[in-house]
Amino acid sequence: MSRKRHKTGIKAWLKPYGYSLERWSYFFQRVSGVVLLLYFIGHVIETGTITGGFEVWLNTLNFTQNPFGHAILLIVILSGTFHAINGIRLYLTHQGYLLGKPERPEYPYYPKSFSRAQRVCFWLSVSIALVFFLYGFNILFGE
Amino acid sequence: MVERKIMLLHYYTGIAIIALVSIHIAMRLIMPFSESLEFSNVLNNYKNLPYTISLELLLITVAIHGFNGVRIILLEFKQGKAWESFVKFLTLILILIVVAWGTRTIVLTNLM
Repeated sequence: MSRKRHKTGIKAWLKPYGYSLERWSYFFQRVSGVVLLLYFIGHVIETGTITGGFEVWLNTLNFTQNPFGHAILLIVILSGTFHAINGIRLYLTHQGYLLGKPERPEYPYYPKSFSRAQRVCFWLSVSIALVFFLYGFNILFGE
Repeated sequence: MVERKIMLLHYYTGIAIIALVSIHIAMRLIMPFSESLEFSNVLNNYKNLPYTISLELLLITVAIHGFNGVRIILLEFKQGKAWESFVKFLTLILILIVVAWGTRTIVLTNLM
């Protein structure tokens, strides 16, 4: 078996289906992180235009404050909320709080690393992200 | 040992970001959203010292957390001493560039 066969790289990273829920959590945590970083860089550049004066700032607002810009903000709200709450789950797990007790492996072999408490936290992060998404939608498109 | 410390830094910056982003969003929501983006209101925000300090901290913590996250992803794709050193160097440079650009905005708006 060649070494190259194991090097699927980003293709494997972007294929969360066919595994457990933990894999989806891993996938969403990384994708949301990349989305947030791209937004952060854009936001730093965007706010930097205010130093150009009133006219430049007005042009920036015209460019960003429109339905497309608001849709991007909604994706950021969804990503940010999920990333934050799922990140707290990861922190608590890595500190050993949500691991549960070791058990003998029994069929069907569900991964023990993703305990019931962690599954609850995962769905909680998805639910809260959706609530914040709807709140953001109301603020951005309800005015 | 170094990776352990970097991971702890990643967690602590993450927790700090949750608090600092909450402040940042609260400042947007104390008035209607579109009004909060008006030129004079944004400038006034930058001239509010406690808020400016929180913005600078937010800038630094997000830059560290975000680019370190990308570093972790890149190290999952490929390993090796040269690659790891390159990614670490690139991460530090990108953090410095973004923090410098954001700090420039904060300083210049205070001089306006």
